[in-house]
Amino acid sequence: MLLRVSNLTVHYGKAVALENVSMEVAEGSVVTLVGANGAGKTTLLRAMSGLIPATSGGIWFRDRKINGLQAPKIVEMGLVHIPQGRRLFPYLTVMSNLQLGASLRNDKVAVKQDLDNVFQHFPRLYERRNQKAGTLSGGEQQMVAIGRGLMAAPKLLLMDEPSLGLAPLMVAELVPVIKYINERGISVLLVEQNVSLALGVASQGYALQVGRIVLEGDIEKFKTSEVVKTAYLGR
Amino acid sequence: MHTESLKRQRRNITIAAICVVVGLLFALPQLGLSVYFMHTLIGVFIWIIVANSLRLLGLSGQGSIGHAAFMAIGAYTSAILAKFLGWSPWITMPIGVLVTVVVGFLVAVPFTRVRGIYFTMVSLFFGIGVLAVNQVFNKWTGGYSGIISIPRLFAYIKTPYYYFCLALMVICLLIMYRLEHSRIGLTWKAVAQSYSVASSIGINEAWQRILCLGVSCFFAAIAGVAYAHYYVILTQETFSFNTSINVFVYMTVGGAGLFAGPIAGTAVLLIIPELLRDLREYVPFIYAAILLIVLFLMPQGLAGLPAQLWQLIKRPARAKRMASEKEVGERAP
Repeated sequence: MLLRVSNLTVHYGKAVALENVSMEVAEGSVVTLVGANGAGKTTLLRAMSGLIPATSGGIWFRDRKINGLQAPKIVEMGLVHIPQGRRLFPYLTVMSNLQLGASLRNDKVAVKQDLDNVFQHFPRLYERRNQKAGTLSGGEQQMVAIGRGLMAAPKLLLMDEPSLGLAPLMVAELVPVIKYINERGISVLLVEQNVSLALGVASQGYALQVGRIVLEGDIEKFKTSEVVKTAYLGR
Repeated sequence: MHTESLKRQRRNITIAAICVVVGLLFALPQLGLSVYFMHTLIGVFIWIIVANSLRLLGLSGQGSIGHAAFMAIGAYTSAILAKFLGWSPWITMPIGVLVTVVVGFLVAVPFTRVRGIYFTMVSLFFGIGVLAVNQVFNKWTGGYSGIISIPRLFAYIKTPYYYFCLALMVICLLIMYRLEHSRIGLTWKAVAQSYSVASSIGINEAWQRILCLGVSCFFAAIAGVAYAHYYVILTQETFSFNTSINVFVYMTVGGAGLFAGPIAGTAVLLIIPELLRDLREYVPFIYAAILLIVLFLMPQGLAGLPAQLWQLIKRPARAKRMASEKEVGERAP
């Protein structure tokens, strides 16, 4: 198992954000995590990438316990987080943003190769490489955020609501992008509120509801589930 | 591409202009520069290093109003070793810089735990703290009255000092420029824009801010030791809070966003009072007028003035072009 979370509990102060959450991401798969606002999806991703501490339970990545490790160490191991809302460096150029994604890597040749790959796959970014990232459209910014994630040479990419605030046309473009990432051997954990996007690309799913996993398993199960509807709409 | 060739052309012009200015500065003593003005320029060279080291610190989003304290540590260390142990300044100067860098890294560990305005406040307290330490050890530092007749680098003539400080400044500026445009500089800028995003993509932002402060101290200390062995006198006033604020003003008036900013700011604000020596009593007013004009009319600072003027010249032409384009657009159905 590439990533294994077992009985993870996270508190914000005294409030319980996640309670006894267990989940797995297999090597080479696309797994989706669904849930309404406030269900704890982002919290789970932030705990995985070492940005917030866990109260109890464990997270294993490539058979190594990673909760307690510092964020840079986790990125170096290949677990890369693309945060919600495309948090870029708005006053730096597209090129700089992409280069910063590779700031932990020392293999110059491979970094150059990855940069070429990103530009090849997102030619739009090549056109705008010298433009400040903040001046790009929402869709283009999301491409920069994904490209920056890819520049870190991830084994597992955590994508936090890539469709947030995008036009429907741009959301549709995310499907081939995620498939392309997966074809390159990168596993993806996709947090989404957009059902059709999530169910369209994932093979496994988990549904979170107020900090607990309420449904898990094959994606087909999700397509017919009542729980998914409540997980999205809240109760 | 068209814009890139234009960019390259502009870069070549800039490099040529820099070479001319530096060449001229090196030639000035041969062209009959007065001893007095040489003295002024030596001061300008030293303070340019400090102002740019402050800007370097600003790259990682950290503003200091106690930077003179780091100059002080280097200057006093070197001065005391040279005066009381009789060591050559050529040996004590690197020691002074080294001590400052070590102190810089040590204080950076607790200091960088706070960000933004809180860091600035801590830097202020540090600046005041160093002055207090200066008082406590007045047996060596001389306290208020200071330390005098520090051993000189060169004999009583100014020309070697002039070349030494000019070369020092050029080298420091080159290193700082390369640093800013390296991967480290890019990382610092990223940390300045958002430390949380920076750490989410794997940058150890705390360490980067510590590193930035350490490197900034290195350059501030270089200026400090050069100051000590040129002016050969250090007092409580030399590296006071006032000095730190002055350096901050040089940087801001020149334009903190541009590499040339602190250079322009330091040069203008230090040379103008010398040119207006006959109007000495009015100098504070002129100073204030410059500050106000820059703050209100030049968002990029003095160094941004050429680009600003260029925009002003270009704007009427562009407005005209846009108007004619609009006409064409309206005519077409």
